[in-house]
Amino acid sequence: MRFRSIAALSLAGAMLVPLAACSSSGESKNEIKIAYQRATDNNSRVMDNFLTGVKKEFEKANPGKKVTLVPIQATENDYYTKLDLMMKSPRTAPDLAYEDTFLINSDIKAGFLQPIDSRVKSWDQWPQFQDSAKKAVSGLDGKVYGVPDGTDTRGIWYDKRVFAKAGLPANWQPKSWDDLLAAARAIKKKAPGVTPMSIYTGKANGEAASMQGFEMLLYGTDDQLYNPQQKKWVTGSKGFQDSMSFLKTIYSTGLAPKPSQALDANIGTNIATDWFPNQKIGFSIDGSWLASTWLKTGAKPWADWSKNIGWTAMPTQHGQAPGKTSMSGGWSWAITRQAKNPDLAWKFITAMQTEKNAAKYDNSAQNLTVRKDVAADPSYLAAAPTVKFFTDLVASTHYRPAYAEYPKVSTVIQEQMEAVTTGSSSPTQATAAYDKAVSDIVGGKTTKESGTK
Amino acid sequence: MAITQAELPTSGAGTVAGTRKGPSRRSVHAAGKVAANLVLVVIGLAFLVPLLWVVTTSVAEGQTLRVQWPEHFTGANFANVATTDILFRPLLNGLILCGGGTLVTVVVAILAAYPLSRYKSRLKRPFLLTILFTTGLPITAIMIPVYAMFTQLNLIDQMWSATVFMGSTALPFGIWLMKNFMDGVPVELEEVAWTDGASSMATLRRIVLPLMWPGVIVVTIFTFIGMWGNFFVPFILLIDPNQLPASVSIFTFFDPQHGGVQYGQLAAFSIFYCIPVAVLYLVMSRRLSGSFALGGALKG
Amino acid sequence: MTASTTAARPGAAPEVSGAARVPLRSRTFLRGLPLLPAVVLLLVFLAGPIVYCVYYAFTDMQLTGQTTTHFVGLANFRKAFGDDRFYNAILQTLVFTVLSAIVGQNILGLVIAMLFRLATKAVRSIVGALVVAAWVVPEIVAGYLLYAFFRDEGSLNEILAFLHLPQQNWLYTMPILAVSLANVWRGTAFSMLVYSAALSEVPQELTEAAAMDGAGLWQRFWHVTLPTIRRSVATNLMLITLQTLSVFGLIFAMTKGGPSNKSTTLPIYTYQTALQSYEIGYGTAMALVLLVIGALFSLVYLRALRPEAD
Repeated sequence: MRFRSIAALSLAGAMLVPLAACSSSGESKNEIKIAYQRATDNNSRVMDNFLTGVKKEFEKANPGKKVTLVPIQATENDYYTKLDLMMKSPRTAPDLAYEDTFLINSDIKAGFLQPIDSRVKSWDQWPQFQDSAKKAVSGLDGKVYGVPDGTDTRGIWYDKRVFAKAGLPANWQPKSWDDLLAAARAIKKKAPGVTPMSIYTGKANGEAASMQGFEMLLYGTDDQLYNPQQKKWVTGSKGFQDSMSFLKTIYSTGLAPKPSQALDANIGTNIATDWFPNQKIGFSIDGSWLASTWLKTGAKPWADWSKNIGWTAMPTQHGQAPGKTSMSGGWSWAITRQAKNPDLAWKFITAMQTEKNAAKYDNSAQNLTVRKDVAADPSYLAAAPTVKFFTDLVASTHYRPAYAEYPKVSTVIQEQMEAVTTGSSSPTQATAAYDKAVSDIVGGKTTKESGTK
Repeated sequence: MAITQAELPTSGAGTVAGTRKGPSRRSVHAAGKVAANLVLVVIGLAFLVPLLWVVTTSVAEGQTLRVQWPEHFTGANFANVATTDILFRPLLNGLILCGGGTLVTVVVAILAAYPLSRYKSRLKRPFLLTILFTTGLPITAIMIPVYAMFTQLNLIDQMWSATVFMGSTALPFGIWLMKNFMDGVPVELEEVAWTDGASSMATLRRIVLPLMWPGVIVVTIFTFIGMWGNFFVPFILLIDPNQLPASVSIFTFFDPQHGGVQYGQLAAFSIFYCIPVAVLYLVMSRRLSGSFALGGALKG
Repeated sequence: MTASTTAARPGAAPEVSGAARVPLRSRTFLRGLPLLPAVVLLLVFLAGPIVYCVYYAFTDMQLTGQTTTHFVGLANFRKAFGDDRFYNAILQTLVFTVLSAIVGQNILGLVIAMLFRLATKAVRSIVGALVVAAWVVPEIVAGYLLYAFFRDEGSLNEILAFLHLPQQNWLYTMPILAVSLANVWRGTAFSMLVYSAALSEVPQELTEAAAMDGAGLWQRFWHVTLPTIRRSVATNLMLITLQTLSVFGLIFAMTKGGPSNKSTTLPIYTYQTALQSYEIGYGTAMALVLLVIGALFSLVYLRALRPEAD
């Protein structure tokens, strides 16, 4: 009897084994695997559709070659955890990985990616890419590790209906932070019940807080986070403190959402799906993709949005040149260090980055192009009323100093923003706390000098 | 309903103490019953209200975080999620993964619980303590080395290995609970069978198990629920998207950075997602009450 | 029908110790044989990775951002014990566990189980089903439900407004209380089931006799019921404490640990450190501290179980 039960158990085990056999596929010289983040939104399988299309063309043009798509469906942070784990092991490393420029430098430093300088040098399409985008995919060693496939910029979205009530122009062009405050005060006075303005803040909003929020302010001052000449992080800058003071002003005088609303991780959703459509907010510093929420396929379809909503550039602090500022992220395709077929992988990148395919992707993804030829393509410019405006912002945009320390620095920024938002720290205290934390993270290699000349 | 029942104090199943104690006791008892029913109704409402959001949002046209009576009813949310990619395949994968994992946990835990419950050994207590302590470890903490191990042993991206792993992570709790239940089955019954020459495995199957079905069921439900909601383990161990369970695919409704959460679809999906667990509980608990009666009968 | 079956008959299942019939050694082996599958699985899938984790805790391992990993001795632990946020996380974990498990789930579960013995069948089954429904809702869904319940415009505030009671944004003003209540909502079913079973085995004659002697409701509970179900209480407390210590998804979905880290429990802080800042070494070191906290709790409960267990 004893043996019978053991036999039953091993039988159960044996039944499971065939399952194993069918899922392990042989690695061949003719196959490439492509790992990317599947948008966590069922209505937009944009990347899936795009890649499937290119895959079909590619397999037809290269008989005998096989392209395997490995979508990773998760929030960005979990996507990165999994991608890094996969790239770490030779058995699971994909040939091509879709890398956020935010983290590509961490992965370069970890040795997950291979440089592609020799490949891009002989590639006739490479001159079409803008220099700022090329910089965003380069490592500290100066080598190129990825091909950018688009970017985003950030600006100000405002509700013309609310502006009319507050006596503000429908064609609004703020020239300085003071203009922003003046508009917000007018809204507070003349349109009670409406939240005058919003800037993302706090840890719950993650990178949206540091990038759409804080860095949109900081990069409009005379200071930045990082000094590229000295290759050091900047501490104790006046711009940093001024940016914190701006936050304090709007959050302590009722010009921004209540701290309890602002620190809610869903505020982005609320602004896009509720506050703007229902005239609950004056203006918001937000991403170039905001309007995609209101498309037919979006979370909150809104046919009349372009009549009611305006968009404009974020001014610099005092209107100093070039008068406006923006921050950009964006994604890129990188060949992994452990890739089994790097040559084929490169070939696939070039198939994705023909002018035609690049324009096709940017159009369907509501993505901003980093290619000069696509930027002049009439079909691209006609895809949405906002495309031209936000593409033009690329000229005055900034990329984050996305080095390996950046994610940690970014967390510190979010925490200090949160402290100022709730009023538990003054801007001076927040700046001091940031300086200390950054110095700890980068091992004391900081500078008081700002990166801008 | 509570009131009418309470007015007839001698009816109903829950008569506990003092039905034969005369009129004063009876009225005290009736008052207690009314009070108990009232308090329970309040508690029940407190458990009900948060659940309402799923129901109202799933059938409402606008998608919000508010609980409100929908202005326009729609089945669109259900229709949108009821596709193979979004719903059915992930549910099926989840059933294979969590069903298999639960089976592993329950079978292995029963086998392990038997010697732990029946025999004395110096190693027993340290063993039980050790496995107990591991239940406090967040499983996310060990996933990095587990991934490394799975790639080394070529176990990654395979349903069966992920299933066995999930079964193993639930084992400490399963063994601990199962051993406790088994302790409750009197050993005298088995001694009779042993003297008749039956092996310990035979007595386990024929005598112990039938008496501890409630325990087995509790472990089954508990284990399954834990696995059914587990996102991180299948997400890390499985790569092919066609193998991922519903606990991973539910994240299709979250896109906080770009465009926001699809509340309506999330709610509709959640309802589908809860069905298997609810069915399991209903089926199992029916069995539970049946064997309760049995247990009571045997005790005389 | 749960762990409590033990409790109802303290000292049941005396160990079969007199091993006289078969030679001792082979007997021990055969007896231990059914343990084998469990031991193998536990060693391979849990002990192995945990040993690795212990090793990681003494290194500066990162998921990305550096190529090599170095042994750093106790540096991670030293860092943790000099980190205010780590102390905050321990405090939040303890508050969360005490509020939601030891007080909330445990007492509410016991109260419901006791009321069930007085209530009518219809009320019992409907309320029981609702409590269990909250239990079977998957964690991420529960997180969203309760987020919607506690938020500024949520149902709780609407109810409070209806009752003319003061409202507030619970997730902002007292996030740890909100997530604790959420965990009570989600987890009470387990305690309820455990205590229902335990109470069903309290001999009626005992309570009746006590009632005849004029003992009040409270006295009967304190002197008759509670001592009888003592072992169930200890077992239940141990299990729910260990479960609650490692709760992650519920809190993360509701507050992400905020605002201002006011609901950052150790599992949240570990996740943020290991998988958001990619510091595997440091994060793992903190996870081990959590393991120790769980062990300490268990030892306390085991003490309560002891006199009759051995």
